Amino acid sequence: MTKISFHHAGGAVDVLDVDPGTSIMRAAVTNGVAGIVGECGGQAMCATCHVYVRPEYLADLPAISDDEEEMLDCTADPRDAARSRLGCQVILGNGLEDLEVDVPGSQV
Amino acid sequence: MTLETTTAQPVPVADWVTIAGLHKDPFPIYRRMREEAPVHWVPAVGRYMVTTYESCHLIENDQETFSANETGSLMKRAMGHSMLRKDDPEHDVDRKSYGSVLRPKAIKETWNGIFEKNSATFLDRLRAAGPGADLISEYAAPYAAENLRLIMGFHNASQEDMQRWSQTMINGTGNYADDPDVWTASKKSYDEVDDAIEEVLPYLLKNPDGSLLSGLAAMPIPMEAIRANMKMTIGGGLNEPRDVIGVAAWALMENPSQLNQVKADPALFAVAFEEAVRWVAPIGMYPRETTKETVLEGIQLPQGARLGVVIGAANRDPKVFTDPESFDINREKKPHLAFGGGNHFCAGTWVARASVAGVALPRLFGGLPNLRLDPEQAAVDAGWVFRGMTSLPVTWDK
Ligand code: HEM
Ligand code: FES
Repeated sequence: MTKISFHHAGGAVDVLDVDPGTSIMRAAVTNGVAGIVGECGGQAMCATCHVYVRPEYLADLPAISDDEEEMLDCTADPRDAARSRLGCQVILGNGLEDLEVDVPGSQV
Repeated sequence: MTLETTTAQPVPVADWVTIAGLHKDPFPIYRRMREEAPVHWVPAVGRYMVTTYESCHLIENDQETFSANETGSLMKRAMGHSMLRKDDPEHDVDRKSYGSVLRPKAIKETWNGIFEKNSATFLDRLRAAGPGADLISEYAAPYAAENLRLIMGFHNASQEDMQRWSQTMINGTGNYADDPDVWTASKKSYDEVDDAIEEVLPYLLKNPDGSLLSGLAAMPIPMEAIRANMKMTIGGGLNEPRDVIGVAAWALMENPSQLNQVKADPALFAVAFEEAVRWVAPIGMYPRETTKETVLEGIQLPQGARLGVVIGAANRDPKVFTDPESFDINREKKPHLAFGGGNHFCAGTWVARASVAGVALPRLFGGLPNLRLDPEQAAVDAGWVFRGMTSLPVTWDK
């Protein structure tokens, strides 16, 4: 199992244990984590699965693809040059066993 | 499972719903249905109509239980078997064949300039028609058609061809009455589109551009899939932007304080666009079919049930949206379902946003001083599977 923590404004945290191979978006949506929408089901097409990855984990992340790159310019809350990612494009496991993200205030 | 089946309710029947009533104004009907149950069998429509936000949202994210590959689909007959009626993994192959053509970077680099040019052309046409002209036929429809013609790469067709193809094949898709004249017109367009594709592909191989057909010309995709996907995209990419231009313009002209707000801050056209597609979803209902017996929000459904996923009703669910029946750009932002969701999430979402909220609406209200509803002629909104303005007479200061 891999562990992911979703930090919400105000300090609340959702901590989930999920199977390796699960995306951040899928983990959030199937477990009812507030603030992650995932309208397009993970096709890097809607930008409603935006998360800010906590700095200590940035080095462990996969590279940003062209599709993710252009979609990160379409997020509802401002893009953070270093920390913004699409939750559907980051898969847990395979070296990314533990992750903490901040949930943006808005996805639409 | 035992628990589910013992507590599940049978499907209520809504025999009081008529097609004529839905066509005129579906929203009071949706409201009554939603208040009674999340799903009804509707004899007049021949489908189980799903009207709550929660159920529509569940369906679009569960293609294993709710298949898009409907048996006896009229859309397959009218347009061929496109990606819209496939499940993954077959769907995914077709969807990926569209590449980056409809994505934000291509829109910025290629299509926005074309949208500006087309908006100027048809704004001139509306001006020339003069006060009292119909905003839909003089501006919204030809603008949406010409944009789509170039995005798709039909260099051998006109925007009028696109409009005729779209309408006749959509009529085929909705031909539940099996009217032979509707099938004749639909089949004629089907053949014309096939011919146009065959003619333009070699041209695009020699003269590549950023269009869908140009991308497909160079790809190992079966011709049958290309043909079906092009027809579906003609049917799905023209009427909807046209209808949201009409509905958004109408709603803003009916609500002068909101219009003033938007004029003072053009960034709010994007908000007005989202609120217009929430308030009147251009695609009000789309089909799915159950692959097994299932329970949806407590209602028992048989295997093979033909569902109508009524996103037009979900978007006005009071459990999600406060005061859902009114158009209000200042409402709390919430995700609506107008673009569908899950694997069939509209491939043209960003094209629609850029062409309508980014160009069509701001140029319209910026270009025609004091644009307003024509007091002499009534605006008409109609439809339910597809809904929009059938006529929108406007006037302005010269
Ligand atoms: C406001 C305008 C629009 C709305 C409200 C809209 C709505 C939708 C909806 C609800 C679906 C999913 C239907 C289903 O799941 O059965 C869809 C799919 C689709 N739309 Fe749009 N659409 C719009 C504009 C466009 C435009 C401009 C294009 C093309 C340039 C387009 C191309 C497509 C395609 C190709 C699909 C199929 C996606 C798939 O099956 O994976 N749409 N649209
Ligand atoms: S779920 Fe749509 S971009 Fe991630």
